[in-house]
Amino acid sequence: MKRVIPVLVLSVAGLIPVWRYEPSIGTTTTTTTEAVAPTPTPSATSSSAGSSSSSSTPSTSSKKVVQGTAINTSKGTVQVQVTFEGDKISSVSMLQQPDHPQTTAAVPVLIEETLKAQSSKIDTVSGATITSDAYVQSLQAAIDAKGA
Amino acid sequence: MNRVEHVMGFPVSLRIDDEGGGSRMDETADALFAWLREVDARFSPFRPDSEVCRYDRGELRLPQLSADLTEVLDLCEQYRIATGGAFDVRLPGRPLDPCAVVKGWSVQRAAELLAAAGARRFILNAGGDVVVSGGPWRVGVRHPEHADQLCTVLELTDGAVATSARYERGDHIVDGRTGRPATGLLSLSVVAASLTEADATATAAFAMGPEGVDWAAARPGCEVFAVDAERRVRRTAGFPVATVAA
Repeated sequence: MKRVIPVLVLSVAGLIPVWRYEPSIGTTTTTTTEAVAPTPTPSATSSSAGSSSSSSTPSTSSKKVVQGTAINTSKGTVQVQVTFEGDKISSVSMLQQPDHPQTTAAVPVLIEETLKAQSSKIDTVSGATITSDAYVQSLQAAIDAKGA
Repeated sequence: MNRVEHVMGFPVSLRIDDEGGGSRMDETADALFAWLREVDARFSPFRPDSEVCRYDRGELRLPQLSADLTEVLDLCEQYRIATGGAFDVRLPGRPLDPCAVVKGWSVQRAAELLAAAGARRFILNAGGDVVVSGGPWRVGVRHPEHADQLCTVLELTDGAVATSARYERGDHIVDGRTGRPATGLLSLSVVAASLTEADATATAAFAMGPEGVDWAAARPGCEVFAVDAERRVRRTAGFPVATVAA
């Protein structure tokens, strides 16, 4: 268990920049870069066209790259970059991460669910070691009987 | 081919789906069950003439033990250290009982016997601990409170799954740190590449209680599905839950 704690602390530290990011409010610690959509170069020959020939990119397809604050942890600096397309996150990348084996080791994140009872078509059953007496009435016995 | 035999106090179901194996697969199945009976004779803590009992009584010394028992005891010691003593085959006032490791280890060996004999598609289920090959197979995990229902279904192609719980044999798993039965979980299943790892990890984590879920999840190559005493499920993201309903 001792090994797990620093790993957990570090992974939480790595997520701080993501949590700190607030999409609508520009903060002093967050740098926002608008990726410039390729604007069509105004052509000299098209001057006869109307007053406004520049195309405006719809806001839904605009790309926004947000860099989180660099956080110093005991293992080194951690910084993430999040790319938004419209209001969806299209990618998250690490700009800086400590060169330490613990950051590359998979930190298990446990998913919590509610206990459900179900029946389903199955090939075999895993369970606590069944006694030979209890086997007679078990699902596995039914499966074995069907296959024999 | 399907066979069920009762060995070591639990039913062992074998299904081999390979075509054309014929009598050779029957012979392989015979060899498999003979191996499991041999393991029972040699390693049972309930047979006074077993190697385990003779060692426990001091009639055999460590250097005189078979390579197999030495390997089993080494595994037991590894899990004792890894769990901070929660998993312990030498509890005070009790005889040496390496069953928790012997089961997974010997059934994994049995599965390797099948593979060596040419079987590619099979399910070996030893009283609820499962080794599969050549899937995908759908493996149900028994619901901890309803014997005729499942709490999850996983899809496994090659590998093993073991489940520890109290519903079959009562409070038989003891937390070696306290000497008391482990009651913090209703059920805990571990998927791993081998049943040796899956079974020992499931039993050891169950002995640890709720913290054992995190412990097992952090073990390399192990995926975990646990139901705690409050009936909450906690599982690793990589636990291979079957996606397609059948």
